[in-house]
Amino acid sequence: MGLLGLLWSLANLVVAYFFVTGAFVAKTAAKEGILAQLSLLLGGVLIAGFAILLARECARMLTSADASGTA
Amino acid sequence: MTWILVAAGLVLAGVGVSSAVGQAGSGAQPWGNELSDNFVFIKALPFVLGLGVAVGLLMARTYGAKVRSDGAIRRWSRGTVVGHAVLTLGFILALPTGMWQYLGGILDVNLPIPLYLFYRVHYIGASIVLFAATAFVSYLSMTGDRSLLVPRGQWGRHLLGLAYELPEKVRTPYAKLLRVDLTQPRPPTGQFTFYERVVEFPSWSILLVLITVTGLIKAGRYLLPVPGTVLWLSSTLHVAAMVAIVVKLLDHLRYTLPRWPLVASITSGWVNERYARLRHPGWAQVSGGTAAGRRANGESSGSAAAGALGGSDT
Repeated sequence: MGLLGLLWSLANLVVAYFFVTGAFVAKTAAKEGILAQLSLLLGGVLIAGFAILLARECARMLTSADASGTA
Repeated sequence: MTWILVAAGLVLAGVGVSSAVGQAGSGAQPWGNELSDNFVFIKALPFVLGLGVAVGLLMARTYGAKVRSDGAIRRWSRGTVVGHAVLTLGFILALPTGMWQYLGGILDVNLPIPLYLFYRVHYIGASIVLFAATAFVSYLSMTGDRSLLVPRGQWGRHLLGLAYELPEKVRTPYAKLLRVDLTQPRPPTGQFTFYERVVEFPSWSILLVLITVTGLIKAGRYLLPVPGTVLWLSSTLHVAAMVAIVVKLLDHLRYTLPRWPLVASITSGWVNERYARLRHPGWAQVSGGTAAGRRANGESSGSAAAGALGGSDT
């Protein structure tokens, strides 16, 4: 389950990457103005932040499972 | 009687959806694929919602506290377990397709798959979410269950309980910000953790309401006149709610995955006695006056031991 969580985090990091880069380079967002660009940036940062928190928790789950397995 | 209502709801929903699909597929209408799907969705919606109400009545029949002979305590009714699974399925369909509609537009990227298929799957997912949400509203109104809400006059106790569930780094700034007195003992955790009651359930409810209301306004714009400002606001909030749901889902998984018995309980309904005693002493105490409950009473009366038991677990 920890592995699935890590995969989910990774998928969300990809989404966050598109959000953040889109804030700077996407033509549609640029046309819509600074608010649209800031929203993309904020959304991307939030998704990335929470994805990292989930990844950290999943990594902790995986390492503790390994530890109990070897004990 | 409830079964008859559900059967009637199923038949009506079947007839309603198939006649909407039949109209769209007859070739008599001049609509394109996307608009055609939009009409099927909005026409089928009253039937889907009606079926949701009927199924909610059925779910309510499974409601009630139970303790198994092995000491396991029922945390979720069978109705809630099924409703949560259906809601999850709806999100699995609606969230990625909604995200693609948004990101594809922003990045100006087209996949080899036609866009209307994304919309179609999004509408199916949205219908499932709306069905499940209506079923839950019906279920909660029938049972009167408010156990996931903070009871009136108990916010202070819950904010204190939440403080003890937060990591130590966050606890002190949180307590300062909300003026929570950390010299008070940790209140015992009940059936639901303080994080679930203060953060999880309210945030999911708000986001669910926001995404469904704004989605309905967007989808209904070809049937009813919607002022431009309202439509723009609904579209903006729909996207904002989608992003917030993505974030909330990450937080939900972060919180629940390490608490595996809680994940298991949303598929089985049950939590074993040992886990309930350790992590939910206030609940174990109330549920049936078991030996576990009596032991939990000693451990969870607001002592330092209760704090140590719960640890820093949010």
